[in-house]
Amino acid sequence: MRAAIAAHEAGVDVALVTKVHPVRSHSGAAQGGINAALGNESDDSTDNHTFDTVKGADYIGDQDAIAILCERAPHEIYQLEHWGAVFSRQEESGKIAQRPFGGAGFPRTCYAADLTGLVILHTLYTVCVKYNIPTYEEWFVTDLVSDDSGNCVGVVAYDMIRGTIETIGAKSVVLATGGAGRVYRPSTNAHASTGDAMSLALRAGVPLKDMEFMQFHPTTLKSNGVLVTEAARGEGGYLLNKDGERFMTKYAPNKLELASRDVVSRAEATEIMEGRGVDGCVMLDLRHLGRDRIIERLPQIRELAIAFAGTDPIEEPIPIRPGAHYHMGGVHVDNWGAAPHMPGLFAAGECACVSVHGANRLGGNSLLETVVFGARAGEAASSHANENFNGSRPNVPTDAADRFQERLKEMLERKDGPRQSEIRDELADAMQEKVGVYRTGPLLEEAKRSVDALKEKFKSVVVDDKGKTFNQDLIHTIETGYLLDLADCMVTGAIARTESRGAHSRTDFTERDDENWMKHTLAYLEDGEVRLDYSEVTMTKYEPQVRSY
Amino acid sequence: MPSTTFRIFRFQPDSGKTEPYHQDFVLEHEPRITLLDAILRLQNEQDGTLALRYSCRSAICGSCACKANGKTVLACMEQVEDLKAANVGGVVRVDPIGNFAPIKDLVADMTPFWEKFKAVKPFLIPDGPAPEKERLVSKEAMQKIYNESKCILCAACYSECNSLAADPEFVGPAAFAWGYRFAADARDGQRKERAKLYSGEHGIWDCTRCMFCNERCPKGVDPRDAIEKLGSIAFQEKVTSDKGARHAKAFLISMRTGGKLNETLLVPYTDPIGAQFNLPFALQMLRKGKAPSPIPHRVKHLDEVKHLVKNVKETI
Repeated sequence: MRAAIAAHEAGVDVALVTKVHPVRSHSGAAQGGINAALGNESDDSTDNHTFDTVKGADYIGDQDAIAILCERAPHEIYQLEHWGAVFSRQEESGKIAQRPFGGAGFPRTCYAADLTGLVILHTLYTVCVKYNIPTYEEWFVTDLVSDDSGNCVGVVAYDMIRGTIETIGAKSVVLATGGAGRVYRPSTNAHASTGDAMSLALRAGVPLKDMEFMQFHPTTLKSNGVLVTEAARGEGGYLLNKDGERFMTKYAPNKLELASRDVVSRAEATEIMEGRGVDGCVMLDLRHLGRDRIIERLPQIRELAIAFAGTDPIEEPIPIRPGAHYHMGGVHVDNWGAAPHMPGLFAAGECACVSVHGANRLGGNSLLETVVFGARAGEAASSHANENFNGSRPNVPTDAADRFQERLKEMLERKDGPRQSEIRDELADAMQEKVGVYRTGPLLEEAKRSVDALKEKFKSVVVDDKGKTFNQDLIHTIETGYLLDLADCMVTGAIARTESRGAHSRTDFTERDDENWMKHTLAYLEDGEVRLDYSEVTMTKYEPQVRSY
Repeated sequence: MPSTTFRIFRFQPDSGKTEPYHQDFVLEHEPRITLLDAILRLQNEQDGTLALRYSCRSAICGSCACKANGKTVLACMEQVEDLKAANVGGVVRVDPIGNFAPIKDLVADMTPFWEKFKAVKPFLIPDGPAPEKERLVSKEAMQKIYNESKCILCAACYSECNSLAADPEFVGPAAFAWGYRFAADARDGQRKERAKLYSGEHGIWDCTRCMFCNERCPKGVDPRDAIEKLGSIAFQEKVTSDKGARHAKAFLISMRTGGKLNETLLVPYTDPIGAQFNLPFALQMLRKGKAPSPIPHRVKHLDEVKHLVKNVKETI
């Protein structure tokens, strides 16, 4: 939506195509906040924000892109505020309040209680309503459309309510479908987070970057993997093991619970593996914050903990464990969100990899990335549309729609085979077990065999619903195909990367290896097989250092 | 493992059946399972044609509102064991949200809901250009609209709204909660225009005050309270020509002049022209003793009532 708004403001004709109503998007589940060096609470600076992000990324983020992210951050926060975002305020001054977050040297995270994502998502939607931007709600994109010269000139979309297939022509296309957290279970991600755009791009010949880096959030509920915001620790929450010990003193003596997420998740996994957990969890203790602060700053967390864990954090610690949360990898794009392999194609947000998060994203930087690089992608896509067609419409072939029609027919006619749900569950379990917080060569090889076997099994997948109206079984089947592509890229990338960096932590290669692995992984799909290539990391002024918190 | 019968509303336009029906599904499940997870298991294991919208499964995306045993809930927030315990016979009945036409099974056509949301101008319209940095807003002023900002547009309130059941054009609780969220935003410059927009036919005064929206909102938004606050804003902005506003005013005049409610006089105050047409009917009612006397009756200590009214006015 941020891209659509930027495009509208640039004067081009823009529309949104989305498989869920815009306010149902998973950005609304982001809780804790959005980073910008406003300096409202301290002498913070853009340089500090940039350095923290470079370090958080374990030095594999592109430093020029990170500088863009951090420099544009205050502008985007003020822009959201001007559009009406209900940010929490400082007591005296009326300025936007900021709270401490993991891996950050200063209180830098702007927030709206623990509903920051919801407020920002809604704010952007209200601007889309104000601008009257046409929205194709519950239209599912199945293919990218390219012309004879390989330019992206539209998408094929399936109208979920009517069951019809349309080719939507466009001078440029911005992908913004979010992450692929559903490759795992449990996951903090919504059921809809199936990484659609990544697979669309991959199948169109565009490589995906750094797919092996999946972030495990340190605090997710045991029963269903629902997120407990980092703000719980930002506000002062403790992590305790079964002996009541604040174990982070051993792993990150300076930053403790506010070390970066990969560090905290590994610490928790180690405590649990070495027998100091409680039923496969550690405890998040908020009791000392007091009732008032919990109700004012963390109301949603309290509601979710009571509903899903039967625990009121005012009274008791919450059992939590690391869970799949955010995918650093994505569609390989440049600093304007443009895919170098396909003119006219852009991507922004979690489905894209610019890369600003490198091997590990800092809390509060994902919402920021969506607005900064969303706006930039919208601006760049508008320029592309204005500059490349001499005022005429692009030539939009319909053969991609015809091919989808064929695939659809074949899929619906197939009998006797597994359902998508079975394949999806097996995939998620294999990934959770074999490509988790800690990884090792033999287990990764096993994961690859599991993924290959599931890809084979998927060839005979059966869709139970043969109807045209709101056929969710069909949509879930297509999504499962997407997830298999992405899992393959993740596992193949992880096998090759024989080092430990950020969220990719191998017990058989425990050190970071800058000499051989200071590079981005690029995954291509060729004849159904993943092929890897590599590209350089952009360094500016920050030399790689030993990373400790 | 417990076993539960789910009696689910089905509407399958592709099957040739034009009428909705209910179908029973039996599921064996872990003791603690949410209604959403139970329905997803039915979808995956028993019938892939069963449809409902869902996504986040943590009560924030607003997709999965439906009726469980007649009450609108978010399916992801309800425990099956609680629903069974609350219902005689232990059957869990699931229906789509109310006041909508079905598309398929539990998937409703929410178009009117979104159109009405858009009709309240749900975006900030500030006075004058923005400053270079953020607009300064006190914590207290921001807090005023925090409750309404929590609305996830799940339409649980719309589903339960009795005014909508009587008047499908009624704008509805969620849209008005959003209306208040902007009308009361210290940064918005359209307070009076919004008061006008939200008054009038199908507007705030058409709410029947049944309070179901407050009761069933899964996020504690309290839309009825927002509608009431919009009424206050309408009075503060002197947008009082609407029948509903005049009706409210008539209450106040009646209290101030007689110390208690004079129901007969409410009608001409509220709708002077319409009341003339109803005069013969009113006289007939009076003759039969079905209407109270229109002659104002004063309570003994009217000064105390007047004092009360003054006190209330000063506290608003």
